[in-house]
Amino acid sequence: MLRERATVSASTPRSRVAISFGSPAGESGVTRLDLNEILIRNPQAAFLVRIAGSAMREAGIDDGDLALVDRALDANHGQVVIAVHQNEFLCRRLCRRDEALGLQAPAPDVPDIWASEADNVDVWGVVTHVIKQVSG
Amino acid sequence: MFALVDVNNMYVSCERVFRPALNGKPVVVLSNNDGACIARSNEAKDLGVKMAQPWFEVKHLERSAGLIALSANFELYGDMSSRMMALAAGYAPRQEVYSIDECFLDFEGMSGDLAAIGRELRHQVLRWVGLPTSVGFGPTKTLAKLANHVAKMSDRKPGTYPERLAQVCDFERLAPAELDEVMRRTDVGDIWGIGRKTAPKLHEAGIRTVLDLKRADAATLGRQFSVVMQKTVRELQGTPCLEVDDDPPARQQIMCSRSFGDAVTELSDLIEVVSGFATRVARRLREQQGACNAVHVFIATSPHRKQDRQHSPTATLPLPRSTADTRALVNAAVMALRAIYKPGYRYVKAGVMLVELQSSKHEPTSLHLFDDVEEAQPDGRRNLMATLDALNERFGRDAVGIASASKRSAHSQHASRQERRSPRYTTRLDEIVVAKT
Repeated sequence: MLRERATVSASTPRSRVAISFGSPAGESGVTRLDLNEILIRNPQAAFLVRIAGSAMREAGIDDGDLALVDRALDANHGQVVIAVHQNEFLCRRLCRRDEALGLQAPAPDVPDIWASEADNVDVWGVVTHVIKQVSG
Repeated sequence: MFALVDVNNMYVSCERVFRPALNGKPVVVLSNNDGACIARSNEAKDLGVKMAQPWFEVKHLERSAGLIALSANFELYGDMSSRMMALAAGYAPRQEVYSIDECFLDFEGMSGDLAAIGRELRHQVLRWVGLPTSVGFGPTKTLAKLANHVAKMSDRKPGTYPERLAQVCDFERLAPAELDEVMRRTDVGDIWGIGRKTAPKLHEAGIRTVLDLKRADAATLGRQFSVVMQKTVRELQGTPCLEVDDDPPARQQIMCSRSFGDAVTELSDLIEVVSGFATRVARRLREQQGACNAVHVFIATSPHRKQDRQHSPTATLPLPRSTADTRALVNAAVMALRAIYKPGYRYVKAGVMLVELQSSKHEPTSLHLFDDVEEAQPDGRRNLMATLDALNERFGRDAVGIASASKRSAHSQHASRQERRSPRYTTRLDEIVVAKT
């Protein structure tokens, strides 16, 4: 009964992201490369988000990809972010023009979104890495 | 100096991180059976929803006032809690995780502008994890808890206390007269360790406000009420009677955690520790005739040993039904531990917390039948299993089958009683946030 881990929640993405190469090599004191440590700078601020849609394809982010998001980072002009717009999560490239905050996608048919008093835009986190499944 | 860091409306705040549409709306989180409101947003509080109020009593507000009710999502809350706790631990030499949403920090030996540290902590937790907190500083744990209450209330209801005490409140920065005024505005019932039954008795004795209580004679009240009351009065007067990791006077949440003198790296050692903790909290749970709905386990490396690789995971295991059974709780705690443990880390702290306590009066099984189990201190996994197996043999195959039984009954039960549960955004890959492009 102790083997039924499906009902157990592990906490940080660090211990949950199922992409680790393996466990430490025992008594030698040498440890294998660990993707969690390589990719996640701020474990407490790290979240995984699933991408839906193809508007960001030209930016290298496609439908079904896993985005690794860091909420600790300042969102700078040109970075890919997860934003909240009209209460929905949206993956876009951030655009800062003077004081204005914009969300853009490389797809030509996708209109820019500019934050205004009536139409709020919140940056939820900065996308630091994208994980794509290419086979298997 | 102590600080109490506390997440505002924890469960609702966790939900809002992943469901922005809930912001500004009246929201309640319901207990395991969707039976009672165990967390309320400020908007829900303003609608008059009371803590632990049965859902059927407020259900009409769904239509009339747009009240949104969600089933408890303990996996999510447990993970968000662990993130918050890990960040808070970095701010002070010692931390006591007091419940799923609050911890004490002991700033002994640290000087400087603590309120500024508190604001930084608050900002970091809000930014990194998305959770709003309140931070209170005081020379005793009871005063820190009161300062936290002031920080929270002045944020929520402007005018209750001076505006500058909102969100982060440091009692050390108040002039004595100002502190007295804050205490005069606060009912004794809002003090840590004074329960619902005690407050009316104090009122009868003419002690209505915290200031009244602070000015009372500790020894006299100690004789009249309890040793706990005596300690509470001394603490209000500024004399520390409770250390970090001391048993708290009130037991709304049951928690057992310790820092180790020497770092622990082996799973078998941690199993021993966690089993012992689970046994203790189970006993305490039965002492107060309670039952719990989830077990929360954490282990932590030292944030102060920068040379060590850091790993401070937690796991929250929802139980298939509420229980106070030592075996079920030890079992669940060890399962959770196994899921989070990673070899190669130097753990310096571990804890077991029972989440969502309730009265056990509806619990059908006898709670005291297996008390003798508690005396068996499991020595690692094999002994634990041997203990459980022996119990199985003695009391029948289903006696220890809590966890496996959960598998069978969980689907049918959870399906019906957690209709409103949101996805487990941070612990299940197939339930993570989806962002459109």
